[in-house]
Amino acid sequence: MDASFISNLILASVRMATPLIFLSLAELYSQRAGLVHIGLEGLAAIGSLTGFMVSLITGSPLLGVAAGAAVGILVNMIYAYATINLCAEQIVYGMAINIFAPALAAFIYRVYFGAGSELVQVGLMTTLSGLLGITSENFLVRLLLDQTPMVYLAYGLVIFTAVYFNKTRSGLNFKAVGEYPKAAATLGISVVGVKYAASVICGALAGIGGAYLTTCYSTTYTDGNVAGRGFIALAAVIFGRWSAGGVLLACLFFGFCDALQIRLQVGSYGIPYQFFQMIPYIATVAVLAVIGAKKAGPKGVGKPYLREER
Amino acid sequence: MKNKLVNILVPLVSILLAFVIGCVIMAALGANPFVALQSLFAGAFGSARNIGTTLARSTPLIFTGLCACFAYRCGVFNLGGEGQFIIGSIVCCFVATQSGVEGLPAILLCLVLGALAGGLWAAIPGLLKIYRGQNEMIISIMLNYVATLLMGVVYTNWLRDGTVPQTASVPDATKLSRLFGLRVTTAFVIALAAGFLIYYFLFHTSRGFQLRAVGLNMTAARFNGFAVKKYILMSFIVSGAIAGLGGSAELMGTQYRLINGFAAGYGFDGVAMALIGQLHPLATILVAVFFAVLRVGSTTMQAATGVPTSVSDIIQALVIVFTVAGLAMVKLPQFKAAVARMFSKKEAA
Repeated sequence: MDASFISNLILASVRMATPLIFLSLAELYSQRAGLVHIGLEGLAAIGSLTGFMVSLITGSPLLGVAAGAAVGILVNMIYAYATINLCAEQIVYGMAINIFAPALAAFIYRVYFGAGSELVQVGLMTTLSGLLGITSENFLVRLLLDQTPMVYLAYGLVIFTAVYFNKTRSGLNFKAVGEYPKAAATLGISVVGVKYAASVICGALAGIGGAYLTTCYSTTYTDGNVAGRGFIALAAVIFGRWSAGGVLLACLFFGFCDALQIRLQVGSYGIPYQFFQMIPYIATVAVLAVIGAKKAGPKGVGKPYLREER
Repeated sequence: MKNKLVNILVPLVSILLAFVIGCVIMAALGANPFVALQSLFAGAFGSARNIGTTLARSTPLIFTGLCACFAYRCGVFNLGGEGQFIIGSIVCCFVATQSGVEGLPAILLCLVLGALAGGLWAAIPGLLKIYRGQNEMIISIMLNYVATLLMGVVYTNWLRDGTVPQTASVPDATKLSRLFGLRVTTAFVIALAAGFLIYYFLFHTSRGFQLRAVGLNMTAARFNGFAVKKYILMSFIVSGAIAGLGGSAELMGTQYRLINGFAAGYGFDGVAMALIGQLHPLATILVAVFFAVLRVGSTTMQAATGVPTSVSDIIQALVIVFTVAGLAMVKLPQFKAAVARMFSKKEAA
């Protein structure tokens, strides 16, 4: 184990944490408005396909990400309508999205590219150092500059979210909806409005998280490429105690696990590579088992809001 | 009575709506939807052979459907049916190909050990739920990935047979016998038996009643002195055992070897079927057969009309999206009021 192994590991951790940050923030906004969303895996799947196709067609990964966000919002509106207006059970409907969205993605891919065609590849987003024309082997330069714009966006969003939920009136109102919607309503906050706003943000971020995988990480799209990240993000929100900073640390930890398994696979050491691939999943289970369930989440999560109900 | 009618009507209307949208998609792809649907149903039901294939395809789905159904009856979400199914099939594969036992004793051993292994695998989220209060959904899903990867180790490494990454076939003597010479095997009979047994347990025994009581209202059940934690753990273990049994039966009945993609998606399909079947074991079986009809029929449809088989996945997904939304809608006070108004108008007229 040498210095380059460790520096590469850290660089890879940052890259692997980025999609998780988008997905966890999506979950955070949704839960802060009282909507627990287990359908992120599905939203990310459709976002990933959209990002792939749009960046392939237009040649611009940034447009791909934007399209991924738009489609994420669109699909999440189904979830929003069912859970907010029809008061469907959130867990059950999240599951429905998890089944519906990947099926849609797989179908569109088959129709557009035909079955059994050769693997289509797409160009990835250029890093900032690539844009600036800097090439350096210095670790700090690589850590700070050799990243795609999405990484900076992710960290910017974490800071924004932390400030928004703790320092602004609008953010506190937002949180009130997730804690105790009836009290929020008596203060004149539009509960339904906040819940829809949360769903728009959630859909967009989940779509971006998915699109990251095909615009910044892998040059191909395959079914199931989200690989459980939608659920790991849920665990990251619990691990991060529903705060933006905590979520960031949790994502970095899970990103590190992911980076570690890739690095260890390269070394292999005669162990079947699948055992290394298990690391992020086992780490998630272990983390959840260790922290246990201290009730720290928004209190109104999972409960439908009926205005007429007294 | 009216509730029961609604419970049947909502899924039926959802299926109809899903098919209508499916037809629009087919038409958009340039196929005649009527020809496509005809070939779909002919592919699933057209001959005794096709019916046999459909029932064979429905068998693993019945197991994972019952798995999801049983746990959710106790108020816990077991999303790990796929992992438990796979663990069952891994154990079955070891016993069938490595133990040297063959024939009926091997079959029985495989079924029992497969169920046991599935149950133990499901005990992990169950125990973490009751002792650590942890989210059982995330944990059971994480364990799906672990199980799939473990299966990968088995067929690429430990039990790899030759150059192709797959295990050796289950010996002929240990294969489940076919019914009437069709592709459907005794595994289907086992699945049906499991369904009826679960139905009997849930609705005709006091333990089953208590389990459902825990599922309906955990707090009330606790105040009534029911051992809530025990029921939660038990529901996980039994639910996992059903899936593990299914994995074992699927390996000996249809697939014979572990290979990439074995059981992929069966877990979430199971959840979808249980929800469409509204957690009724027998209804879940019917939905599983319906899903199998779509899958088998869509292959014929693709050959006949060029509509890709994944249309059937979209139809399935739409059925679940509509059913769950529909069931929520009919429970809304506004909807109930509207229905009541309609009825009172009729009476007035």
